[in-house]
Amino acid sequence: MERLRASGPIVVFSILLVVAMAILAIAGASVNNLISRSFATEAQIRNARLLAEGALELQLDEETGIRGWAATGAGTFLQPYRAALPILPKTLDGLGTLLGKLGIGRAAALRDARHVNAEWLRLVATPVLSGPRGKGALQRYGKKLIDRYRIDIRSIEDGLSILEHKTDTATRRAIEQNTFVTVGALIALAITGLIVGVVQTHSVQEIAQREAESARLRAAYAAERRVSDALQEAFLQKPLPTLVGVAFSATYIPASEERKVGGDWYEGVELQDGRVMFAIGDVAGHGLEAAVSMNRARQAIVSAALVHADPAKMLARVNDELIADRGRMVTAVCGIADANKYSFTYATAGHPPPILVEPGRAPRILPIGGVPLGVLANRAYRTHSIQTVPGATLVLYTDGAVEFERDPIEGERVLLEAVRAALEQGNAEPATAIRDQIFGFRSAEDDVAILTIAFVEPEEGSDHGHHEAQIIASASRGGTIVPSSSTTVVTKTNAA
Amino acid sequence: MSSDSSVVVIALSGELDVARADEVARALALPGRGTPVLLDFSDVSYADSTVISALFSFSERASEANVRIAVLIVKPQLIRLLEYAGVGEAFPVFRERSAALTYLLGNG
Repeated sequence: MERLRASGPIVVFSILLVVAMAILAIAGASVNNLISRSFATEAQIRNARLLAEGALELQLDEETGIRGWAATGAGTFLQPYRAALPILPKTLDGLGTLLGKLGIGRAAALRDARHVNAEWLRLVATPVLSGPRGKGALQRYGKKLIDRYRIDIRSIEDGLSILEHKTDTATRRAIEQNTFVTVGALIALAITGLIVGVVQTHSVQEIAQREAESARLRAAYAAERRVSDALQEAFLQKPLPTLVGVAFSATYIPASEERKVGGDWYEGVELQDGRVMFAIGDVAGHGLEAAVSMNRARQAIVSAALVHADPAKMLARVNDELIADRGRMVTAVCGIADANKYSFTYATAGHPPPILVEPGRAPRILPIGGVPLGVLANRAYRTHSIQTVPGATLVLYTDGAVEFERDPIEGERVLLEAVRAALEQGNAEPATAIRDQIFGFRSAEDDVAILTIAFVEPEEGSDHGHHEAQIIASASRGGTIVPSSSTTVVTKTNAA
Repeated sequence: MSSDSSVVVIALSGELDVARADEVARALALPGRGTPVLLDFSDVSYADSTVISALFSFSERASEANVRIAVLIVKPQLIRLLEYAGVGEAFPVFRERSAALTYLLGNG
């Protein structure tokens, strides 16, 4: 396409060059034709002029012969007269034919010349040759007739001169016009060449501009990436609350590929009465737009948590907002941890399942349900309630934690094993430990966020004993502590 | 795209990610005259969030156009991924072609 655009003007120029050459060739041929025709005309004019001069000389030969014979009586004077006598009519005939071809309107003059010659023969030559009375005829008619004849021939010659001039003028004008056409064609060609050159230069400039534009876009992309990185970093650096009874830990791994600035986030907000809102989410796509959508979804979830106690209702509200915003698709889990009751309630929207780890039990995958946020209007989500035990940890993560090999079944297996290994060690930062278990020898193709929420086990005799006692007390008031073996998951669906 | 009697079948294969987003967007076109559509993903093993997002918008358009659609998924990895995404809540997901066609051609 690029090459086509660049060679376009050259193609146009080539076509114009061919057209110009054709014009020049046609012009040249027409000039040649014109010149040869005018040469033919001029040759005929020349011949006609020779014939006219001959006609005059022959008449003068006749006249001189008769006059000489009349004066001297010498027979030799009659020789030119006799020679001219048969030639003159033929000469006049030839002249007549040529004048007809040349289209000169001098037929009357030629007719008069014939008539004068005939009259001269009748009135002068015949009487002089036949007797002495002839001398009077010579004086009476001779000079007069010869002068009239001379005038006739001159008139014919004038006609020839006029025609010659006309032919010359026409030829010259044609040649001039031809020159105009030729020069015009050459100028047009030169201008076209100039335009082609300019266009060519322009297209070169265009390519340069496009390169500059792509450099600008690269710079803009780099800037966008810095902004989205900064946004994401700002969100993630906001510290999770340090609470009594509930311990958060979190980690975030950016995608290993530079272009993949993701939209993963997590959130923890303390509510009242020992209740804590937690959320994790993932905006489809990457870049600044994803970061902005992420921020919007995140704020929507926090504000929904302040209005609704029920996670399903929170998600339904966030979905309505994102649908109204026409933002990107967002998957999320949000819920409430109640440190007094050791219970989690949560709802999911198109997101991979939370994992629950209880002391002495294998980690297990919790139920999910619900479509992602921001794709379908008026959706209902389900709240799942989990009654668990002190020391239980809820693990939330984004899809990068299970889709590193694009196989979520294998991913879940690896993740469950990583969670088990990480929590077995009693690590203070379980999220980081899980991350290290999975990505210690794998690279993260997508970005990954991991959030854990743990109910702190009361440690008797510790510095925090007082607080923990309170928690146990309040939890006891609720009477909801149940053995881990009988942990229950209750699911209810909110009205759309 | 091919026609399975009076069902339009849109078949895709391989791993569908953002690099193939344009291809997926072109493929997910509604046929005219309300012909039911079977999205044949039996050879698809992966779909990233951009593709899942495109699936939802396709289901939305189909529902607006009153076109019945079904998705055929066979690969367990994709089944799990679409479980995450809650795709089964938005439109019928089948693991067998015959069941999907029966549903699409049914009167119900």
